[in-house]
Amino acid sequence: MTFTSWQFGVLVAVVFGAYYVPPLRTFQIQLLVVASLIFYGYGQPELLPLLAVAVFGTYLFLILALRNRVIWLPLGIAFNLALLAFFKYKFLFLDPAASGLTGVEPIDFLLRLPLPVGISFFVFHNVSLLVDLTRQKSAPPALTSVFLYIIFFPQLVSGPITRAEMFMPQIKPKYLADIPFVEAAKWIVSGFFFKLYVANNLNEMTSYMTFPLYETLQTQDRWLLVFLYSYQIYADFFGYTAIAIGLALLFGYRLPINFNLPYIATSFSEFWTRWHISLSTWLRTYLYVPLGGNRHGVFRTYLNLMIVMGLGGLWHGAGLGYLLWGLLHGLLLVMERPILSRLQSIDSVALRAARRSVVFVCVTMLWIFFKLPNFDHAIGYLSGMFALGTNPNPPKLFYNLALLYSLPVMLQHLVPHALFERVLPRADPYLYGAMAALMILEAGPETSFIYFQF
Amino acid sequence: MPATFPLRWFAKFGIAALGLLLACALATAWFGNTLQLPSTTTRDGTLITMNRYVTEPIPDVVLLGSSLTFRLKEEYFATPALRNLALAAGSPVTGLEIVASQPRPPKIILVETNILSRAADPAVVARYSGSGSSQPMFLRPIRTAIAAYENWNHAPLTHAQAAVALGRLLAQPPSEFDNHIYLERALQQENADDPTAAVRRNAKRIEELIATLEQRGAQVLLFETPVSAQLEQSRSARITHEIVHARFPDPDRWLRVVFTRSELRWSDGVHLDERSAVIVAHSIDQALASLPGKR
Repeated sequence: MTFTSWQFGVLVAVVFGAYYVPPLRTFQIQLLVVASLIFYGYGQPELLPLLAVAVFGTYLFLILALRNRVIWLPLGIAFNLALLAFFKYKFLFLDPAASGLTGVEPIDFLLRLPLPVGISFFVFHNVSLLVDLTRQKSAPPALTSVFLYIIFFPQLVSGPITRAEMFMPQIKPKYLADIPFVEAAKWIVSGFFFKLYVANNLNEMTSYMTFPLYETLQTQDRWLLVFLYSYQIYADFFGYTAIAIGLALLFGYRLPINFNLPYIATSFSEFWTRWHISLSTWLRTYLYVPLGGNRHGVFRTYLNLMIVMGLGGLWHGAGLGYLLWGLLHGLLLVMERPILSRLQSIDSVALRAARRSVVFVCVTMLWIFFKLPNFDHAIGYLSGMFALGTNPNPPKLFYNLALLYSLPVMLQHLVPHALFERVLPRADPYLYGAMAALMILEAGPETSFIYFQF
Repeated sequence: MPATFPLRWFAKFGIAALGLLLACALATAWFGNTLQLPSTTTRDGTLITMNRYVTEPIPDVVLLGSSLTFRLKEEYFATPALRNLALAAGSPVTGLEIVASQPRPPKIILVETNILSRAADPAVVARYSGSGSSQPMFLRPIRTAIAAYENWNHAPLTHAQAAVALGRLLAQPPSEFDNHIYLERALQQENADDPTAAVRRNAKRIEELIATLEQRGAQVLLFETPVSAQLEQSRSARITHEIVHARFPDPDRWLRVVFTRSELRWSDGVHLDERSAVIVAHSIDQALASLPGKR
């Protein structure tokens, strides 16, 4: 079930209607768990047992690790990483087209199961649960609370990746009077607007980036489409996260902010504090710091950065393109590290603008490996950006349409925050109302959220 | 409802949203939905083409086909009241189903038979079949604004307006563009699958629809848009050609399109380049003009 389907709207309306009814207040957690199971199992009920294995398994390891952290915590983490590796990376070693993968029927059955939607996200939730709760040496939480933390439907399939120490304390009775309705509405409307108006419309244009269509493009259109994809992927993922945050607020939970105007970052390290913040935070907390972080000298710091970013790339998918994307981001982080403090000490508007441009262009170029996970296609696209197009009949792209569909992302990033604050208090209900109407009137063709595939 | 529910905020929000929706609904009722919106995908192009067919007066001649015929722009033709309903990435059967479903058929229907391996698109057929297409209640404000601008700035040319530019194009020599990479890829694709079953099914359906349309007074003629000699020898093209000609052996069922093959080029290996498309359009003009008692 996707956020943009009418079935999802019905589910949310029914659950919200029942959630705050006083006689049902003691069952709020159970209600959200059941709603999350319906949300996840709708259309693919065969994946529910896998979700159950992940949750029950993690809960068992949690109970054991609370008694003996040294032994059971690594095993619990290994269990979750094994789940992720099995489903996500199995076809690096096996041919999916082979008639008998191993020849053993039950194993072949498991191997042929589709990639469970959101596995990359809920596995990270599980690891966070194991690490945070055993570090705090807290009492074992109720199984329903663990269920809710892992499968809470707004964040289940694409995050934000909420840390257990942040979410678990929020599990308590909720009251209608505590809901920040306006804030929730703003998040939800923004999310749907960015998804339906920006991302889905830009997706129509960036579909020309796929192979072999991109070969028909003019050189300048290849450049344009890369930037449009940069706006699209931001609008798509920001949209999803905004809807998730708004929905969670309706049910009394506050999820972490996942984006903070990433395309105005003046350095690559700053970019990663603004883009997919919950993943960066997770990787820093549970991977970079345990690897030693920056505590063991320059070379080791660089190595740790490359390892973390490489694994971060592979987390998105089992492909050379994703690995390369992560490693190149790692390389950019390594390259800027020795000069960053010197650059930051220079107070110059022009330099800041130049740094922003460099970061934005580099990040945008690297999105090609996301759009074209096939490495050869990505390289083919990239090389075509620096060669003169030869096709005498290239497709016509409407630049004015591209500009109007990208405009919300540009305005969000470029209009000074102070101006928003000065003008918005009076205008914001009208602005959000207009956004709500536009997302209905001008919605692009339905496409799934890009991050669903991860 | 809690006492703190921000009613004023939501009232303003609702006024803005409903106001904009209402404005677009009124604009749709007032101006209609006939502006040709910019197409960003081939699917969009399909819908624009079909929208025009069901909302504008029935033309005398329609062209149906795939992307091969889609390249023959209407302004290339001297024949008046001609409409090209070919669908890029589509099947000629889709267009034929829609034309047959309309209350009045055109006088002459030309059906390209090169690509019959694709089934009719049921969604497009359902949308444009019957007495008229169902119009959306709201126009799309952004696309409509862009459409108005594009139509004002780059209004579609008539044949008379385009004649000078087309003459200049024809005066140029054929393109020397080396298309062998594209051609090889197209050949690989066209040799991969056996389209026999689909072609038989579509040819039979075309025969049924021809019978229906001719009972209602239309004349249906088949034609083949020229493709390169190499592509003509591909597995898919050969099978399609054999099946279609076996089902429609009568030479009078075919439009006699005469052209000089050495003048034609296929820049992407499959589709005619602009100059070649103009040449083929002129050939179709001549073939239509020579039809006995029809023009």
